[in-house]
This record gives sequence, structure tokens and C-alpha cells, in this order.
Amino acid sequence: MTDNEGQFDAIVVGSGITGGFAAKELTEAGLKVLMIERGRKIEHQIDYETETKAPWEMEFRGEGDTALYERDYAVQMLNRHFTEFTQNHFVNDAEQPYQKAPGKDFDWFRSYQLGGRSLTWGRQCYRWSDYDFGANKRDGVGTDWPIRYAELAPWYDRVEEFVGVSGAREGLAQLPDGHFLPPMELNVVEQAVRERIRAKYPERVLTIGRTANLTEARPEQGRAHCQYRSICARGCSYGAYFSTQSASLPAAQKTGRLTVVTDAQVHRLSYDPATRRVTAVHWIDTRTGEHKRAHSRIVFLNAGSFNSVHVLLNSRSEAMPNGLANSSGVLGTHIMDHASTLAAKAIMPGFEDRTTFGNRPTGVVIPRFKNMETLDGDGFTRGYSYQGGAMQSTWTQGKRMGGIGAEYKDKLHQVGPWSMVLVAFADSMPRAANRLTLSKKLDPRGVPQLEIAFEHGAEEHAALADAKKEAAAMLTHAGGKVIMGFDRPNHGGTAIHEMGGARMGWDPQTSVLNRWNQAHDAANLFVTDGAQMSSSACQNPSLTYLALTARACDAAVSMLKEGRI
Amino acid sequence: MSAAGQGWNRREFVGAASLLALALGVPAAAIRLTDLDAQDAPTERQRSLMTRVADLVIPRTDTPGAADVGAGDFVILALAHGLSETRAPMAAANVTAALAPFRRRNGSLRYLAWLENALDRSASGDFLRHPRERQAEILAALDEAAFAKEAPFSPWNAIKGLILTGYYTSEAGGSQELRYELVPGKWEWNIPLTPEMRAFSSDWTAVDFG
Ligand SMILES: Cc1cc2nc3c(=O)[nH]c(=O)nc-3n(C[C@H](O)[C@H](O)[C@H](O)COP(=O)(O)OP(=O)(O)OC[C@H]3O[C@@H](n4cnc5c(N)ncnc54)[C@H](O)[C@@H]3O)c2cc1C
Ligand code: SF4
Repeated sequence: MTDNEGQFDAIVVGSGITGGFAAKELTEAGLKVLMIERGRKIEHQIDYETETKAPWEMEFRGEGDTALYERDYAVQMLNRHFTEFTQNHFVNDAEQPYQKAPGKDFDWFRSYQLGGRSLTWGRQCYRWSDYDFGANKRDGVGTDWPIRYAELAPWYDRVEEFVGVSGAREGLAQLPDGHFLPPMELNVVEQAVRERIRAKYPERVLTIGRTANLTEARPEQGRAHCQYRSICARGCSYGAYFSTQSASLPAAQKTGRLTVVTDAQVHRLSYDPATRRVTAVHWIDTRTGEHKRAHSRIVFLNAGSFNSVHVLLNSRSEAMPNGLANSSGVLGTHIMDHASTLAAKAIMPGFEDRTTFGNRPTGVVIPRFKNMETLDGDGFTRGYSYQGGAMQSTWTQGKRMGGIGAEYKDKLHQVGPWSMVLVAFADSMPRAANRLTLSKKLDPRGVPQLEIAFEHGAEEHAALADAKKEAAAMLTHAGGKVIMGFDRPNHGGTAIHEMGGARMGWDPQTSVLNRWNQAHDAANLFVTDGAQMSSSACQNPSLTYLALTARACDAAVSMLKEGRI
Repeated sequence: MSAAGQGWNRREFVGAASLLALALGVPAAAIRLTDLDAQDAPTERQRSLMTRVADLVIPRTDTPGAADVGAGDFVILALAHGLSETRAPMAAANVTAALAPFRRRNGSLRYLAWLENALDRSASGDFLRHPRERQAEILAALDEAAFAKEAPFSPWNAIKGLILTGYYTSEAGGSQELRYELVPGKWEWNIPLTPEMRAFSSDWTAVDFG
């Protein structure tokens, strides 16, 4: 694919949540698209090898081979979603190394494969509000977002309609309602906790997690309704959760205008300073080591936040010695990841004679309630919210119990007591010192590795301290007995909401992208994954990446049609 | 599952998969101890001991017990591969005079050798020669000490945890002693819980967090 001049209108780098969607939008708008994916091909339904396996069909019973994990998956194994059932949907860290700045930790959880992390994600979908888009301006940290909620709202609509998001409408300013499929019900304990919290704190709302799982079938997309298995990250042959494979890829393929290349690690874009355009996308065929390239009129980078920044940093040239689209010098800086921790776990007595049937693939959420109309946070200016839920324990509780023999065995087959957990996610402040650079060390294919320097700061610590206090107060008020709670953030990366590094802004001197996700320095280059983010909010980000992707695709197509790029 | 990909129909797909499982008996992954490094390979006595210990924790009742499902061998495999952090170097504070002799060069503990020794010492001789009731007493005492409030570190907690894993993730443990439902198909948020209802081994959230 070296002399493909004229063959493709657009190249999309990455096939995950945002790349898959960009490919759909661009092909549906009539463009011929080449999607380049670093990882292997995974075919919907056919390649979900562990989907229907029982633990007794797995050599390590679903827990996985720790010895193997320590050798090859030293980072991925730290993520609780990484199991023997899902290990084939996460990267091999030994083959895909990165560096951490001395003395700093960052656990980078990745899926390099067709579909990227759309296969492994937790599917939580939340709109951002103007508390979020206005955050940088309000407290003066970071650069002002060049957009506000009203501009994005129609794009959220468009995305939700395609993705299929189930949820309950609550009329909250801080968590705008969307186009929802019917919500999954709160369980009996969560319903009670919702009522009890509302009685004491009228402005705090516990609601069902808004999730990209279909509560109604979508025959027109070939997708069945959710079967309540909660094994989504193995891949779902019902197509009941949104992934590239279940939804955006088939839509793009239907146009007949999509070409997909897998096992292709993009390492560099070339740039012509005379025209100020990207002229080619270069990749390494990871099976043969061969170097290849392709041309197109526009390029969309959707390699998953840090990977997109990595490609830009590695695309240094004489004209752009510090990296492509980096005349501002801010490329790689102001990276973020939500500060998260288990804020409270409580035993919930009073429901001993109630239970549930089925595995609901979402939890609950308590949206932000601090720093809204007034700045009332003690040592922090932004938000935090909780995700969690109530559940009953099963045999694993026996690991904490004394006893042996028949009586012990009989106790363990009973449905265990109810407990409830609240995990806090706090806004991550955009700081220049938290940044990505190129390391001198090379990966096995000879590409300089990415180095990550990241640290949570005083604001995040203060927010989580407050979150711990409030979580305990709410659960206690709701009749629970709090048995544990933490306020120290987990390592950077553990929220798996890493973002920033190519931020959007008004000013080409202080930002990488303009308000259409277009590089200030290269008119035909668009970055629409998490790299674009100028602040983090405290909601899961992917729905917002998708809305921004859809909007940018529309803008790019208009610019092309009008001959402006 | 390639057949499911072509001319695919969901109900057929699920139906066919479960019929097939019924017809063939669900293939269980064999526990392969033959692949272990020489220094991790158990002695025959250790295998018998682990099988018996597992069975004392989860005996046969109206459902199979841990010995029936090979949970002892699973524990040996798991210990050799370091499940539940059993191959990690011990924290310095946990290294007592009683445990020190069982450390490997890298500071991790030889759990199996420790257990064998601890039980034989409590039995003042060969643990396996005692009648089952006496073995149960000895093990119960060790268990009680390990699970007491503020108890110091004991290797037993991890071994017992792995016995439970070996049992409840076996076919009998997971689907007879407990209920296993891969495709619930619906979500019922509030139903009565009666004493004869058994927990689900397929309640993945509960397995993770419970
Ligand atoms: C366990 C887990 C739970 C999560 N839960 C949620 C949640 O509930 N809600 C939420 O909003 N988000 C969640 N996330 C985060 C979410 O998955 C990401 O925000 C989202 O996938 C980002 O989409 P993306 O397209 O930017 O990147 P990805 O989905 O990561 O896709 C990037 C793709 O680009 C490819 N690629 C990378 N580098 C290159 C290269 N150099 N050349 C070619 N291709 C390349 C990768 O292989 C990959 O396929 C979760 C993530 C995980 C792992
Ligand atoms: S819970 Fe629903 S979406 Fe998830 S794997 Fe099961 S059927 Fe698919």
C-alpha cells in the first residue's frame, strides 16, 4: 500500500471506541476510509473464544496463571477486569513496553486489537455538563474549553441513538439526561438507599448506571437485548453491548467504503511544511516487520489518548522538531486520569429475605454534588462522583471465615449478606508537569517508547478525603455499617480514563487542537480520542469522546466538501 | 463457534451450545501437574495430604466434596504458579522462626512443605495415619488460630482460599453445590430469598467483591 494516491479520502488510526465510530461516520458521509489497527483481527461472534466457558473448563479456573502474568502481563494483571477469561483482550506488556518517569507510577491498561478497548470497557456512558466544560475557566487551572454543552448536546443525541444507552432520566444539571433505552432496575437495597439518601440530602441522587447495554433488541443492527450475564469483556455474541465489532464496524462495512488493516503499528506521520498538511501515515507490519505507508486527504488519530500523542511526538521533523502539531510546546502535557478509590464499603442489614436473579452489567452512580453553584469543596475546586452498588456475597466470603467441615460447607452455599460499595472518581487537574515524552528506549519493533510522568496532586487528595467522609455518612444514614473506606488515590491509570496531551483550546500558542479537533498546525489532521481533552470532569469519558468524534467528522467532511482542506 | 457466525440465530446458537454440552458432558480442563518444574512437583505424600486436607475443609455431603473434584491437585498447581500471591516474597514482618526454614531463595514460602510439616508436628507424627476425626480436630485447631481476630500471618489462609477456589470452580462445586447460570436472560431486582435457595457461582460481582 505504498502508492495508493487517490484511493483513500481518510485514514483513521485505531479501531477502538472512537476510531470505529469515526470510520462509521466518515464512510457514511461518502468518504473512502482506511482504518489502520495495531493489533490482531478479532471477528464478532467467531473469535470470542472464552465467552461461553465455565470456570471448570479453564486451566486456572478463571483466575489465570500468575507466573505467566508476572512475566508477560505485569501491568495488565493489576486490573481486576483482567482474568483468564479476558486476558486475550488485553496487551502483552512484555511486547508493548512503556516507561514510567523515575519515582512515578502509572498503570496503563490497554487493549491492542481490532475493537481496542470497546471490547473490554465498562460501558458506563455519561454526558458532561457546563460544570465540566467551564471548569478550567472557573478556577483558572488549564486552558478554557472552546466549546460548551449546548454545542455538544445534539452530538450526544446522535451517538446515544446509535450506541444504545440504557438509563433513567433524572433532570440533573450536573449529569444531563440523554436518549435512553429503558433503565435496568436498582436492586432492593439500592432502591432503599436511594430513598434514604434523598430524604436527608435532597440534592443527592443515586441512580442506575447509564450503560451501553441494550435493554431492548435492535434487530436492524443485528443486536439482541442483554441477557444479564455480566461477562461482557469476554466479547458478546448477542452484540448486546456497544463495541466496534457489534455496532460501528458493521455499519462502516455496509457502506462498502471501508478498508481495514490489522497488525499495523503506526509510528509516524509525515508532514509538508509548505502546505502545512500531513502527507502520509507510516506503519510497521508487526508480523513481517515491513514498513508501509499510505496517503489520504485527511487523517484521524484515534489510537487511544496516549498512543495518539505518542505518534505525534514520534513524528518530529526538521519543520517540527518537538513533534508534529507541537508549535505550542504543549503536546504531551496536561495528561489526566481520574483519582479513584474505594471510598466506602458497608454491610447493609435488613434485607436478609430478599435477593435478585441475573447479573446486571452495570452498577449505580451518585453524581457530583460538590462545587456546583458555590465552591464549597474543602481544598478542591472540582467534582467527584461515586459508582458502585449493592450485592450479596457468595462462596468467596469463605476465604475470610474460620471453619472447616460440613457445617462450614453448608454455610457457604447460602446466599451471603448484602453489602454496598461506593467507589469515588474525582476530577484530575490538568497540570503541565504531568506529561508524556519519548524515551530513549526502543520497543521490540524499534520505535522509541512512551514515557509517562504522572502524579495526583493536593486537590485530588482533598477530593477523595471528602468523598470518603461523605460516603460513610450517606451509607451510615441509609442504615449500613461501614467496614472500610479509603481516601488515598490508586496509582495513576487505574481509573482507565487516561486523557489529555493534545488539548483543545482557543489559542494555537497554548493548545494543540482547535474547537473542531483539527490540529492548529496541520489543517488535515484531526485527533478525536481522549488526547483532545482539556479537563477531565469526573464522569467516565468515552461517550464525550464519541460525541466530539461525531462532531469532528461532520466538520471535517464539510471542510473537505467546501474545498477548505 | 464458527458455525454460529454464519446464518446465525441467537436462540439456535445458545440452544446448540447447551445441547452439545449435555451430549458430550462439559469438558473439564484437566489439572496438569506433569508440567511443573522439578522443585515444584509434589511428592505422592504431599498429593495425598493436600487431597485429604481439602476434603476435611469441604467434605462430601449430599453433594460431592473437595476430594471428589480434585481440589487438592488444583491447590498444588495454583501454589506452583503463584496464585493468591503465594510466590511473592514474604513481607519481612511475617517471617517468624517457624516459617523461616520454608522460604525459597527469593523469599517466597514453600506452602506445601510448610503445611506438611505443621500438620505432622501437631499430629506428633504422621498426620495421614490418624483417623479422619482426629485429622479434622488437628486441622480445625490450625484453622481457628489462623482465623482468630488479630491473628498473625498464617500460610493456611491462602491454602484454604485456594481449596475453596478449587472446589467452587469445579463443575460439581459450581453447579451442584451452588447454582451456575451462564445465560440468566433477565434481571429480577427483588425476589424472596428462602433458606433452601443456593448462591450462584456465576454471580461474578459477588465472586469478585463478596
Ligand atoms: C476495563 C475497562 C473499563 C472501562 N470502563 C469504562 C467505562 O465504563 N466508561 C467509559 O467511558 N470508559 C471506560 N473505559 C475506558 C474506555 O475503554 C476508553 O476511554 C475508550 O476505549 C477510548 O477509546 P479510544 O478509541 O480512544 O481508544 P481504544 O478503545 O483504546 O482504541 C485504540 C485503538 O488504537 C489502536 N492503536 C494504538 N496505538 C496504535 C498505533 N500506533 N497504530 C495503530 N493503532 C494503534 C489500539 O490497538 C486500539 O485498538 C474502560 C476501559 C477499560 C480497559
Ligand atoms: S451482560 Fe449483556 S452485554 Fe454483557 S455479555 Fe451478557 S448479554 Fe452481552
